Amino acid sequence: MGSEEIGDRRNNSSFLNCPSSLMARNSISDNVARMSMCSEMNPFYSSGWDTIVSGDQTGNYLGNSCMVHENEFGNPHYQVVLENHTMGSSSHLVHFTSDSSLLVDMVQKIPSFGSGSFSEMVSQNSEDGALGALLNGKRKRKNVEEEQQKDQTGNTSELPKEEEKKNVSNKQAAKQAKSNSNGVEPSKEDYILVRAKRGQATNSHSLAERVRREKISERMRLLQELVPGCNKITGKAVMLDEIINYVQSLQQQVEFLSMKLATVNPELNVDIERLLSKDLLHPRGGNANAPGISPGLSSSHAFPGLPHGTINGFPGTASVVENGDVEIVTEIGILVSSNQELKHLSGITGFMGWPAGIWWILDVERSKFETAPMHHEDELVARGCSMRA
Amino acid sequence: MKTEKNLPRNPSSIKTRFAVKFLQAMNKMNKRKNPSTSMAVKYKRYQFIRAAATSSMASAVGPRRAWSRAVLRKMRNHTAIHRFPMNNKTRTTRRFPITRRKRSSILRGNPRQEDDLGFGQEDDLRGLVPGGQGMDFCRLLSETAHYIKCLKTQVQVMTNVLHHYST
Repeated sequence: MGSEEIGDRRNNSSFLNCPSSLMARNSISDNVARMSMCSEMNPFYSSGWDTIVSGDQTGNYLGNSCMVHENEFGNPHYQVVLENHTMGSSSHLVHFTSDSSLLVDMVQKIPSFGSGSFSEMVSQNSEDGALGALLNGKRKRKNVEEEQQKDQTGNTSELPKEEEKKNVSNKQAAKQAKSNSNGVEPSKEDYILVRAKRGQATNSHSLAERVRREKISERMRLLQELVPGCNKITGKAVMLDEIINYVQSLQQQVEFLSMKLATVNPELNVDIERLLSKDLLHPRGGNANAPGISPGLSSSHAFPGLPHGTINGFPGTASVVENGDVEIVTEIGILVSSNQELKHLSGITGFMGWPAGIWWILDVERSKFETAPMHHEDELVARGCSMRA
Repeated sequence: MKTEKNLPRNPSSIKTRFAVKFLQAMNKMNKRKNPSTSMAVKYKRYQFIRAAATSSMASAVGPRRAWSRAVLRKMRNHTAIHRFPMNNKTRTTRRFPITRRKRSSILRGNPRQEDDLGFGQEDDLRGLVPGGQGMDFCRLLSETAHYIKCLKTQVQVMTNVLHHYST
């Protein structure tokens, strides 16, 4: 294919080994080549390079910091594989399958590709990454600027070597950091290359800070979508409050449901497949069912010492406790008030938010039980009170 | 055609895995003796169901998430402690390890890593999400997101099971 059209500069062997089947087909990838320096190498993965390349008409590439998308091996998409270590002096450039006329442009643009297209590519890509890549990007820019000052065609053979060496070490660090974070984020990974905007500090620390803040705000946005009723909230503090309340209420729901399941008389040997099919065919939201649960609770097995129908209202609990101790009353009062706060704040209407422990608080045989769940409730109360303080 | 509709759409999703494990645990519990349903028995069953829900959720998620690893570790320690109560070495607690970022900011004396805005919310969140003690804030947020998703499915499944039991 176009491999024969490449000039002598890029005649280093393994360029020409690209199988044509893996060449890009569409217009974007016509400008992009796949480099197969080493068959076994794929140290870096990038997904953002799809969009990056599309923005760049000539398909210029930054040899040192491109990465390969792991999932696209074998696809007809273009693939960019770059291996710094094995490259020769001028060999870290890609070969293109486009016309030879384009090649001429590319040859001349090689010295400058770092500055122009690189930063464009970089600014479009805002995924998570490691700190080492920041330094990589910064140093790359400086080197390219130096390049432009010198004789462009003459020194390009030397400078890429230096850059390679530096970038090898940077990439190692980035690679490690990236592989560390790979287990965390299941999504596509690469390192962030950030360009300092106008008027912002280019200190490595502040760049790192900015990266970190962007990561955090991205996660907060994700959480905002998960937690219901948080679309209008702006601000980290309120958002965190909502998140905490929501997690607490979900945990309480689980406890409540398990308590309910414990009181229901079980059928023996339930057929799992039958249950599964029914489960997933008729899903019921947990919140939607909740109003049905609490009246159901009062009508099912009557607990000793618990008059019928007192659970439905908060004020009703006071009448139940007339036989109990004073401390039980105060505990219930605290629990009730904290739950009211939680319910108010979390915006989950309909779910009474009863802590699971409340039914056995009222139980006369309470002394036999362990107090561990009680401590959990205390923690909730304490946390709820401390949050409002 | 009709029988195909009865199968869950994604047989390997977290939801189905959790549902299977949870129902297996319930069946195992129900196979035991069925004495009179006194308060003590009910409370024990409640504890068992709660533990079964948490551990089956964690094992359905697998060891890929930090919070599920923490839950499984806690379960393992719990059973180990109960079996060998004299052995104190099996307890592994991680209480507020100072992460790298906090250490560097403490050394430099500037609170650059302040993210909890002084209300202690970060600590609250760490207390809620299992295994949240040893992470930095960014990772804590992603763990929280996944944890919320899993809690939601847990509530869904348990509600369905409950509904099925009571009808």
